[in-house]
Amino acid sequence: MNKRWWGIKTPVKLLKNENENELAIEMVLHAKHYSLALDKNKCTGCGVCMEICPREAIQVTRTPKAKGEKAKKPTVGVNEEKCHYCGMCEAVCPFGALKLKVNGKTVIPVVKTESFPQLIREIKIDESKCGLECLDIKEACPLDHIKVSVCNADGKMITGATSKIKKKLKVKVEVDKESCPCCRFCETKFPDGAISVEKMFYGRLAINSEKCPEGCHDCVDVCPIPDVLCIKEGKVQVNDSHCVYCGACKIACPEEGALELNRTRIRHTEVHSGAWNKALEKLASTNAVIKEMENKNAQKLKKVILKRLPPEELDT
Amino acid sequence: MSDEPRIGVFVCHCGLNIAGTIDVKELTEYARTIPNVVVAMDNRYTCADPGQEEIRKAIKQHNLDRVVVAACSPRMHEPTFRRTVADAGLNPYLFEMANIREFASWCHPSTPKEATEKAKEIVKMAVAKAKLLQSLETMEVPVTNKALVIGGGIAGISSALDLAGMGFKVYLLEKTESIGGHMAALDKTFPTLDCSICIEGPKMVDVSRHPNIEIISYADLVSVEGFVGNFKVKIKKNPRYVNAEDCTGCGECRDACPIEFPNPWDENMGVRKAISVPFDQAVPLVYTINRDYCIECYKCLEACGARQAINFDQQPEEIELEVGTITVSTGFDVYKPYEESQYGYSRFDNVITAMEFERLILAAGPTGGHVIRASDGKQPRSVSFIQCVGSRDVNKHEYCSGFCCMYALKNAILLKEHYRDDVEVYIFYIDMRTNFRGYEEFYRRARELGVNFIRGKVSQVAEVPENKNLLIRAEDMALGEPIEVESELVVLSTAAVPSKGTDEVSRILSITRGGDGFFMESHPKLKPLDTSVDGIFLAGACQGPKDIPYSVSQGSGAAARAATVLSQPTWKIEPIIASVDPSKCKNITGKCGICVSKCPYGAIKAEQGQAAVVTAAMCHGCGTCVAECPSDAITQQHFTDEQIEAQIKAALEDNPEEKILGFLCNWCSYAGADLAGTSRFEYPPTMRAIRVMCSGRVDKDFVLEAFRQGAGMVMVGACHLPYDCHYISGNYKMKARMDALEKIFEKLGLSKERFRVEYVSAAEGVKFAAIMKEMTEQLEALGPEKIKAENEKLKPTIDRMLERKKK
Repeated sequence: MNKRWWGIKTPVKLLKNENENELAIEMVLHAKHYSLALDKNKCTGCGVCMEICPREAIQVTRTPKAKGEKAKKPTVGVNEEKCHYCGMCEAVCPFGALKLKVNGKTVIPVVKTESFPQLIREIKIDESKCGLECLDIKEACPLDHIKVSVCNADGKMITGATSKIKKKLKVKVEVDKESCPCCRFCETKFPDGAISVEKMFYGRLAINSEKCPEGCHDCVDVCPIPDVLCIKEGKVQVNDSHCVYCGACKIACPEEGALELNRTRIRHTEVHSGAWNKALEKLASTNAVIKEMENKNAQKLKKVILKRLPPEELDT
Repeated sequence: MSDEPRIGVFVCHCGLNIAGTIDVKELTEYARTIPNVVVAMDNRYTCADPGQEEIRKAIKQHNLDRVVVAACSPRMHEPTFRRTVADAGLNPYLFEMANIREFASWCHPSTPKEATEKAKEIVKMAVAKAKLLQSLETMEVPVTNKALVIGGGIAGISSALDLAGMGFKVYLLEKTESIGGHMAALDKTFPTLDCSICIEGPKMVDVSRHPNIEIISYADLVSVEGFVGNFKVKIKKNPRYVNAEDCTGCGECRDACPIEFPNPWDENMGVRKAISVPFDQAVPLVYTINRDYCIECYKCLEACGARQAINFDQQPEEIELEVGTITVSTGFDVYKPYEESQYGYSRFDNVITAMEFERLILAAGPTGGHVIRASDGKQPRSVSFIQCVGSRDVNKHEYCSGFCCMYALKNAILLKEHYRDDVEVYIFYIDMRTNFRGYEEFYRRARELGVNFIRGKVSQVAEVPENKNLLIRAEDMALGEPIEVESELVVLSTAAVPSKGTDEVSRILSITRGGDGFFMESHPKLKPLDTSVDGIFLAGACQGPKDIPYSVSQGSGAAARAATVLSQPTWKIEPIIASVDPSKCKNITGKCGICVSKCPYGAIKAEQGQAAVVTAAMCHGCGTCVAECPSDAITQQHFTDEQIEAQIKAALEDNPEEKILGFLCNWCSYAGADLAGTSRFEYPPTMRAIRVMCSGRVDKDFVLEAFRQGAGMVMVGACHLPYDCHYISGNYKMKARMDALEKIFEKLGLSKERFRVEYVSAAEGVKFAAIMKEMTEQLEALGPEKIKAENEKLKPTIDRMLERKKK
């Protein structure tokens, strides 16, 4: 590749700002302004963004810890010189921690051109099944994305209601859908059928107990979802019913091969894109890509066949 | 030809020019006594028809095989007499001239006896050389009548169109994706204010449509071999990942592409897509994928559809062309004043370069033609132009970039015409340079529009933190006091610098660059478009900053120069060149290659284990390699070691310690000595001069031999350093060699004044005469006894040195 001609001639202003809540980078051109911000409170350091970044602009690394302390979530670094603001990281972040803006407007360029899919967060809320007791549910969402409130028949929100008027009131459940990793933890807390969630990432998480170091619980410390990982008899145990397969544990794990994470399927909007195939291969496996392709072909075939059938047969 | 040479000597009276001082009869008598001279005669005017006829007759009558004419300088009539002997059936190179006019009669008028003696020795030296002369044949090489133009800016475009118009096939090589060069990026042009791309665009289209022109864009020059008329050029075509034949330039792929990156064409002020063209009028209109940024989503493939122009598997392709001439028009780059911290470029948002300003004010630019500030996107109400940023600065670029005054005026006028009284315009300048047609009138127009001109160099630009305005501090030379101007936008008129690839191109083509980094022309006055390599020409700003009309005329001029070669079926090559004797070349047994590194023209190749080979058509005949070869394996035709040593011996046969032996290069010092004669500057008749083509030819052995023969003094005359040498760098090679020799002589106890190197130009007759006087005085002060004693002491060492070398 001849790089000479593409070489930057005029200084492009590249900025980076970091504080305890946010890591932001910017590219300022005379006629265009790009920014990418990472909300550190939402970010779990899972490293999904690092895996798919086409420019290798994101680095997620184990955070060093003092002896005896709990492990801290992995550290995310963004290289402002490498990023070219395509938005793949935002599209794929399970925790909705990244935000890309062009000229001040929120936009994901790769999604706009259908070069990259969006994750499907299928969260159904049936408020009719929620009684006032839902107001008292504690820690319904480990990431604090669920807000339960009450309002009167007009939809006005009410605080500090007395039990007398409670019967006339309706319960409102709001979920921050952009940031929900779809762990299904809330399903267990709310009454049956009040919330139903479909997972975004499917896969398998396993501990190789031979390699797992005795007494280490770094993975447990960094896991954003409670009870997925726990220590039993000094060893780490997995219960992946609520696991979102984000991979934060894998980055935190000090021992190569002690923790095995395999993603098998990712629910996403349908796209036809080489960039996504590549990303999927990195996130899951070649097999997952093949499966998706086969599925797509089957769909296509189905459409073709349906087209050929006379309309009267279609009805039957 | 018989074994013993039969030489005829013809002494010219030149009216009284020679005969007035020199006893021609005595000289002719003397000539007859020299061995191998079978006939000697004198004539009033040898160069006139009867004189020439006399030579032709004598050749036939006496069966002569060598001719010596003792008359004026060979720089004057050598070609005349070569033709004369050729007419008589003799090879023209079997002729030698004895310069007894400029070197004897004219410069020693008051000492006729000594002048005659000197003339005798000059004739003797000429005869000595003549004995050893050999027949030489002029070489002819075929000419490929195709041309290569490197660089598709306005100069290259003009050159290509002109050559194609004359009927020659032209390859136009362009490094970037599109031809057009800087001109295509400009808004309006001075002094007419016509839109730049509107006038260049049609030319670019003409190029792409011309049946004789093939554009090779997005490609690099890899190597060039061969010589005038016969260049073999290797070019690497970089992959665009789009098939040029299939791309219709519709732009649907661009609309489908999600990725943007800073567009260098817009000076990185705007963006372009990862699949795009740098600007809409690009020629050829073929899209290119920047794989550095592409995420390979293949949306472009979808958009392109049945046209199937996109090919992600494209590989770099190397092609080979054969051309007769090469025109270099690689242009310039705009200097980015990062190092000039006083102007605050890249530190302050609202300090931009003039090229960035062009992109701002251009309607098709990233801001749609609105001049806005980077800091707040607002239109500035005051704009200052600062001239000579990086130019006319001894610490940066000494030269004047030429067109900055004019484009600053143009931009000032555009601002005034766009925004009228809403904008205040200042121009800080040192001198306003508005020569050429219509330029001064343009300057007046700017003044009438109310542009403020402040004469004075800017010392500092500072930023006001609150509003990001800029404070320009300068000395107003009209007021004679420091001033401060607050301005909302500062535009720096930065220097034009050699383009980035200049170094590489100069290496590949073996053409030289000047101290400023731009390519050197062969002669600043008479060969402004030629390079030191035959068949390679220069056009446009690659030879120094030039505006558009100048670049266009140079392009056309270079086309005409190239056509002088391309229009010929064959090209004649002078036979005074170097050749290697493979049986002596050390490169066969070991790694040598000294000649390769010393040749100023890259004409010698030495592959490992093989003897060095001189490419005849590339050799300019300076003889530097001959002098440098450690095993004396190289010979320069017509100036062989034997011939020059014979001249040395002849010159120093009698009373050597009273003589100064001079080796003078043909173009400067010999011409300077000629001028001393023509100007009748009288100097003592102590010099015996040997002409060489270049001082680079002067072998150490010649100097050693001269002292072994007992010379009183030795002088080597050369062209002035650094750029006067007619063979690029022969004088430098000579200097290095002689500096080393000087040290040896110092150790051996040779008086310092007895060996010297002098740089005399063709115009310095006075200097030559003065040097002769000075040297003669020193010679006399030393006295023959001391010289003899020194020589005696020196002899064993020199014998040893020459013994070793002659093996």
